[in-house]
Amino acid sequence: MIFIVLFCFISFPEQRNINELKGTISMIEHERNDIEIMLDNVGMVYDSADGKEVTALTSVTMDIHKGEFISLLGPSGCGKTTLLRIIADLIHPTSGNVLIGGVSPKDARLKRRYGMVFQSATLYDWRTVIKNIELPLEITHCPKKERHERAMKMLDLVGLSDFADHYPRQLSGGMQQRVGIARALALQPEILLMDEPFSALDEFTREKLHVDLLKIWRKTNKTIIFVTHNIQESVFLSDRICVLSPHPGRLSAIIDVDLPRPRTMDIKDTPEFTALVSKVRNSFEGV
Amino acid sequence: MLHSKKVRSGVTNIGCPLLFGAALVASWQTGLLHKILKTDEYILPYPMRIIDIMKENSDKIMLNVNASVKVALIGLLLGSVLGYLIAIIATVFPKYGSGGLTIVSAFNAIPIVALAPVFINWTKDVSDIAEERSMAAKILVVTVTSMAAMSVNAYRGLTELPPFSEDLMKTYAAGRLTEFFKLRFPNSVPYIFTALRVSVPGSVIGALVSEYFAEYIIGVGRQIRENILIAQYATAWAYIVTACIIGIVMYAILMLAESIILKACLHRT
Amino acid sequence: MKKLKKLLTSKFFITIVWVVMLIAVWELFAFHVENIKRTPENVQPHLSGIVDSLTSDRKINGSQTALQMVIENAKATLTRAGIGYIIGIASGFLLALFMSLSKIVEKTSFPYLMLIQLIPILGMAPIINAITGDIAKSRIIIAAILTFYPVATNTLAGFKSVQREKHELMYSYAANKFQIYTKTMIPACIPYFFTGLKISAPMAITASILVDTLQGGIGLGCLLSQSLKGAMTRYVFWDIVFFSAVIGILSFYIMGIIEIMMCPYRRTGKR
Repeated sequence: MIFIVLFCFISFPEQRNINELKGTISMIEHERNDIEIMLDNVGMVYDSADGKEVTALTSVTMDIHKGEFISLLGPSGCGKTTLLRIIADLIHPTSGNVLIGGVSPKDARLKRRYGMVFQSATLYDWRTVIKNIELPLEITHCPKKERHERAMKMLDLVGLSDFADHYPRQLSGGMQQRVGIARALALQPEILLMDEPFSALDEFTREKLHVDLLKIWRKTNKTIIFVTHNIQESVFLSDRICVLSPHPGRLSAIIDVDLPRPRTMDIKDTPEFTALVSKVRNSFEGV
Repeated sequence: MLHSKKVRSGVTNIGCPLLFGAALVASWQTGLLHKILKTDEYILPYPMRIIDIMKENSDKIMLNVNASVKVALIGLLLGSVLGYLIAIIATVFPKYGSGGLTIVSAFNAIPIVALAPVFINWTKDVSDIAEERSMAAKILVVTVTSMAAMSVNAYRGLTELPPFSEDLMKTYAAGRLTEFFKLRFPNSVPYIFTALRVSVPGSVIGALVSEYFAEYIIGVGRQIRENILIAQYATAWAYIVTACIIGIVMYAILMLAESIILKACLHRT
Repeated sequence: MKKLKKLLTSKFFITIVWVVMLIAVWELFAFHVENIKRTPENVQPHLSGIVDSLTSDRKINGSQTALQMVIENAKATLTRAGIGYIIGIASGFLLALFMSLSKIVEKTSFPYLMLIQLIPILGMAPIINAITGDIAKSRIIIAAILTFYPVATNTLAGFKSVQREKHELMYSYAANKFQIYTKTMIPACIPYFFTGLKISAPMAITASILVDTLQGGIGLGCLLSQSLKGAMTRYVFWDIVFFSAVIGILSFYIMGIIEIMMCPYRRTGKR
């Protein structure tokens, strides 16, 4: 605990106000005691086209804490996206229970607790960057002035203030994805659901966005569910990694990543990092 | 449960349009349609009456169908072949070729009504027999309209290739001819059908409309007009139904040909 | 030198070259016709003759010059084509909207939508004229029917082209149906909608001219058939042919320009 506080202290010199520091401590304590997402025996069975039943996911049980960064890691067909979509209320599990902050996924969605980031940035190409971020605020009938201010704040958070009036097609892939993240944060949701958000980017852009995402996470204190098939990525980003294995999709291990935070790119060269990567790799079954 | 779901969607797929069609025919036969359109059974005869007339005049109708279909098919064939050749030339000389295609595609926007009389002028010396002159003019109209659709689509098929496929051909040191037959031509086959989907209905319309202006009186389109001029509405309707059948049958044949040929192409690769 | 080469291969220049070549071919043919025919304007006149007929102030029907006549009749034709076009656009768009909102509407109307394309509507012009009994009305109706099909199918394709992620995004915002349509579906289908508009604009004009030819009165088509029958100089016919060709092509490009004005995001180039 002291460690975390110390890191806050070092990385945010402007926050040296002792009262704020106390606030941070109590907030962290509070969060660690609180469960944000509760999965109880969640399973999903599809009817395939030829009438056979396909098991996409079997009995996943786990708790996700508030403010935690969780990766769902696995090869294609392991049900990681299915699990994300169940949490997002996009599909209903055929068995088991899901509770989001004590309510059903549907109620959580209606309370706009989710921010979603997809593999493609999914920006609206007829809207400028700032208007893209304002979109969810328009849906919730946020007043025009406040809408703009909040969107600008989000844009500032992802470091793209200078591009507010550009159209998406004028931005690079990495910048587009940042706009997507800013848009997902605009409604100030508690949970950020990210479905392989960086898999279409090149390695250099991806590494930079990893560091940026961690910064944004620290500033905003969201619970992040991050779907990926990249082991290094999940180790670098997460507090815990849910390793999913295919045929049938199941949770084969949950691995704690106890690397210190804030993490920088250098951490990838440490033996601890390498050890974790191989630990994760060895936890797959039947791949 | 899955099975019943499938059956149910199949029922709505076919049932809904059938129900709508039946309702339409029923309202027509009972005279409800006439009230809605504020017309009488003289101008809009009952379906059964139209069918009777089609049976009575089947010989004469077939004669006119022959004339119209001949025009449509010959024009379609000539236009499509010409259009494809233009597309090939445009592919060989891309800079000037694509500019020429812009001009050809502009032909699409020219009203056929304006084209038809011009072509009738041009073909006055083709033959001494009025029937043949008119035929040539009508075929020319259909040729020009289907040429425009084919050249633009075929050009896309010949030039919008899968990424790196041209480079692959280069690494094989393939000549232009090999490149054409192994890469460009197969790639353009689906585009040919895209063009035909536009130009097959277009050729029927072109044939019918050019008949209006032709010197020699024959063809389904001309018969519609002539019968209305002498107030034989029921006969005119018989020809309208015939025209619709021609359009639908030709399109159905195209669809059949497309599914067979594209399937054959898939099996080959 | 470099500049000259760039100009020579520019798109504008190439189009000009093609137009000049077309004119040259036309004129060559016209010279040939001039030598073998007594009345060359019946087959193919010189372009200069056509231009002359438009610019001369000779009264053709006692009160109007050729240009005045063409413009007056074009007004009538284009107004009705325009009204039919707008009705066709509105009904085509609405049908696509209802089809995207309701599966039953979609399944019921889709086969009939396909049929409309296969039925030679233009061939039905005389009977529609007979049913309505009014040439102005039938022009509007046929222009509307011809516009309807491309607009409806393209708009529907536009609605269907919306990525699944965009639907999921709106779902995660708990957006209502109205918001989904106004914020996502309708803006996304605009480029498709304009494809429909571009295809159908010349068709609406063609329809209107064709219906004109069926009956006397005012309109480009009436004028065209009168001139063909020899009621006035043949040059009026050629004027109309060129006028309608130009209007048909222009209508296509005008829709393209409106599209670019309405969609600024498509104008800006990639960075």
